[in-house]
Amino acid sequence: MSARVLRWVALVVCASLFALPLVYMLSVSLHREGTGLGGSLADLAHDAHPENYGVALEKMGDFPRLLANTVVVTVLSIAGQLLTCSLAGYAFARIEFRGRDALFVAVLATMMLPEQVSAIPRFLVFRSLGMVDTFAPLVLPAVLGGAPFFIFLFRQYFLTLPAELTEAARIDGCGHLRIWWSIALPLARPMLVTVGIFTFLAAWNDFWSPLVYLFSPERSTLSLALASFNRTYDTAVEHMMAASAVVLAPCLIVYFVAQKLFLRGVQVAASKH
Amino acid sequence: MRERRLGPLRSTCYNGAAMLPGALLACCASSWSAAPQEWRDRRLVVMVDERSFESWPGLVELEREFEARYPGLDVRLTDMGGAVGQQDKPRFMLTGDLQLDVARIDVTEFGAFLAEGALVDLEPYFARDASWDATQYLAVIDGMRDARGHLYGLTSTFSPYVMYYNRDLLRAHGLDAPRPDWTWDDLLAACRATTVDLDGDGRIDQFGISLTQWLQAVTPWIWQNGGDLLDERGERSRLAEPEAVAALTFVRGLLHEERVASFDASFDNQLSQGLFQAGRAAFYGPVGYWETYRFKYIEDFEWDVAPLPRGQRAATSLAMTAYVVPRTSREPELAYEFVRALAGERFQRLLARIGNGVPGRISAARSVDFLKPDVAPASEHVFLDVLPQARFMPPLANWRKIEDLCSSELQSILLLEQCDVAAACGRMAARTDEYLARERVRAARPRLPEGTLALALSLSMLGALGLFVARRGPRPGRIARAEERSAYAMLVPWALGFCAFFFGPALATLVVSLCEWSPLRELGDARWLGVDNYARLATDPTFQRSLAATASYAAASVPLGLLLALALALLLRDEGALATGARTLVYVPAIVSPVIVAAVWRFLLDPDRGLLNDALFRCGLPTPAWTRDPDWVVPSFVLMSLWSVGGQMLVFVAALKAADRDLEDAARIDGAGWWRRLWHVTLPQLSPVILFNAMIGLLNAFQIFAQPYIVTQGGPGDASRFLVLYLYESGFRHLDMGYASAIAWVLFALLAALGFTLWRCSARWVHQSARRAA
Repeated sequence: MSARVLRWVALVVCASLFALPLVYMLSVSLHREGTGLGGSLADLAHDAHPENYGVALEKMGDFPRLLANTVVVTVLSIAGQLLTCSLAGYAFARIEFRGRDALFVAVLATMMLPEQVSAIPRFLVFRSLGMVDTFAPLVLPAVLGGAPFFIFLFRQYFLTLPAELTEAARIDGCGHLRIWWSIALPLARPMLVTVGIFTFLAAWNDFWSPLVYLFSPERSTLSLALASFNRTYDTAVEHMMAASAVVLAPCLIVYFVAQKLFLRGVQVAASKH
Repeated sequence: MRERRLGPLRSTCYNGAAMLPGALLACCASSWSAAPQEWRDRRLVVMVDERSFESWPGLVELEREFEARYPGLDVRLTDMGGAVGQQDKPRFMLTGDLQLDVARIDVTEFGAFLAEGALVDLEPYFARDASWDATQYLAVIDGMRDARGHLYGLTSTFSPYVMYYNRDLLRAHGLDAPRPDWTWDDLLAACRATTVDLDGDGRIDQFGISLTQWLQAVTPWIWQNGGDLLDERGERSRLAEPEAVAALTFVRGLLHEERVASFDASFDNQLSQGLFQAGRAAFYGPVGYWETYRFKYIEDFEWDVAPLPRGQRAATSLAMTAYVVPRTSREPELAYEFVRALAGERFQRLLARIGNGVPGRISAARSVDFLKPDVAPASEHVFLDVLPQARFMPPLANWRKIEDLCSSELQSILLLEQCDVAAACGRMAARTDEYLARERVRAARPRLPEGTLALALSLSMLGALGLFVARRGPRPGRIARAEERSAYAMLVPWALGFCAFFFGPALATLVVSLCEWSPLRELGDARWLGVDNYARLATDPTFQRSLAATASYAAASVPLGLLLALALALLLRDEGALATGARTLVYVPAIVSPVIVAAVWRFLLDPDRGLLNDALFRCGLPTPAWTRDPDWVVPSFVLMSLWSVGGQMLVFVAALKAADRDLEDAARIDGAGWWRRLWHVTLPQLSPVILFNAMIGLLNAFQIFAQPYIVTQGGPGDASRFLVLYLYESGFRHLDMGYASAIAWVLFALLAALGFTLWRCSARWVHQSARRAA
């Protein structure tokens, strides 16, 4: 009995410790402008300022536009990432071909390459393609190339599918592309959702690429607008935290909605190494 | 190099005699008639972000006026979008040769832009413009002149460094407001009198002074003591000389011997409410005018500004930003006109009202908009009064690099309890001298022959492809070849992206790492260096510290992360609603953007008012200064990383669910205790997942960037200048892309070696049956 109580206490303590910074963020975001870090939760009972959120949105600029831009970039990235990575993952997992291991090592090696390493040459590539100040540089690396980690995940997943499944289709004369599309992908739903969520988070939270590639305000994204709250002079902590909460909210919503499938994908990834 | 002392213009400025009626100044329309009639399809790209939301409407007004004056012209105002103190975006536009007509730069960057030929010389435009009259501006515009005296830009706002003081607090301790000619001794005496432990708990909670610590803020002390940063010609550091050493010893003494000062006022702390704002410091400084913006919230006490206290003489440093026309301007004439409008009466008065800085235009600086008689501080005029003693930082091309070389040593002088000031100054001077000597021979190096980069790239790609084709094995049968073709077809999208965005750029980085190249110049102007960059890495103490910081961060965050994730997973593995809910709460931080993580934790870890230290203090535990203490800054980032451990935890939970419960039950029936079951049954089954998490953790740990970039900018000292951050700074702040590329390749090699070693060693401890399943 006492062991159960102890466990229960440990659970609650852990969960609240992890939730605390976010509660703190919300608390600061509701205080009167200029309170800084001095405010306490108790003050909020009689002196809450939800209008901070309105001010924060206003300061971020054209909020609907920012939101739309971010959504477009995110959706295109997810679509591209899912198609390319599952294609490559399928080829690595289900087809015998010469040089497969060498290519797969190349995929894994890209994981060791920090983003900043290739930033300038990559910038020059996009400039010569005339794509600077468009969404292409944000989306193309996801559509082509794909993140090596996701290719790895798809490969692991497709490895677990029973061989008979594809062999029967092969005998019936199905090409690999067809098998990938109509057999492998539908079976990979949990993995699609998992990779989709990872891509969503990466694209939604990406700060570096929009900073480097987007110049026109009408193409700006949410995370870029959020970063401009880090300005030296007239940033009120309260507004900054309110804007952070607004940008964070869709991530939370998407996560909660897709949680079940996401966890199944993680389950598959973790159990089938 | 010559300091840009404020010249003879000043006297006329101060008399105010040269002022012309404001209305006349406002209409600075182009006075030459060569302007084309057709403006359709022409654009003017303006990036003059004042880092203030309030200035935007004023800019929009200027935009509308311009578009009305030139029908068809499209004026595009764009946002800088960067973080504190960073001006990366204009640089990217210059590198990308993108149209940028008007930009706003910091005067400390002027030298670099000038040396790289990145700015349009505005002198011919001024010469042609009858309405131009330099005497309408304070002499600070001389900071934007080159060696020939040509003017390259006009002042947006500027600010000399002054001292803020809490009038009520001084009064309460029986002290008067500082006189204009007060001295170091007066400051020390006042600080001693006002440093108090108010609640008698043994922690001092009211300080004499809240000191600022960045180079521009520390330099006045050195100047006041008769010392200097560099010699007249800008070739040798003077920081090791007795005057500089004595000045730094005095400042350090306020902190560590007299204990009347607090260091809560670092740049990264300006967002939070400082000691001074909380009414618990008598003085705050040296710092510029921009703080008045934050302090407008102060209602509890009366505050004002005074000139800095004198040492042997009076001196202060000067910060400034200016509007310039970059070399990538497509409409220099219109750009010039826009610069004139930005520096014109109306917009300058708007800037004065906002209170970012002192406007450069005399009429605006002396208007009620700036002096604000009914708003604190009462003595705005101090910012103008101290100008005769104010100087800019040396206008060297590589000033940012020198500043960074110095600031790490400077921070250790000021922050560390034990420090041999003279020796540290000696090191600072030696590093600066070495750097300056190397820079002098830079231009003499040979250019990289035309097309080398393209040739190297295509040869390497062809080579890699050839190697792949040659080594992939014997030619298989017909059916296998058909299979192979479909596999290659499926890999095409990946292969395209791999070559264009990863492999190709990485190779290009390798070539650049053998060169000297500033991103402000054309890529064709890269200078061949051979392995010099790598040789420099071997002897660069900053790089060594950066490597050490990164290694210790990884060594702490990876194992601790694994342990915590595993412990949480064991605790939360149940299916019950409570465990599921707790799992979600623990995972959620992992989906928060690094930008937000950094912002929230910066406040949580605030040494004086942060939640964490509050809690520690109440429990009677020591309260470290976290991100402001060189010994605690890496642990601070480890703590941040532990908060985001939810992803690893989920993977462990999933693996535990998939693990064979029968084995555990069997062990329990055999009488194995909890610990033995964990060690002999559960962990072996988890071993492949542990390897997986360790690998991902290692990669992430070595690539940490966003958090230190936002929270500490590498400080204090070099304590959190992690590898990717140092790489970024070398490339984009010091404009030394070759060196940054060398760091990149060292990092890549290091990661590959570590990953490979980890994988090879795993054969010993990763459970065999599990390994086979992979």
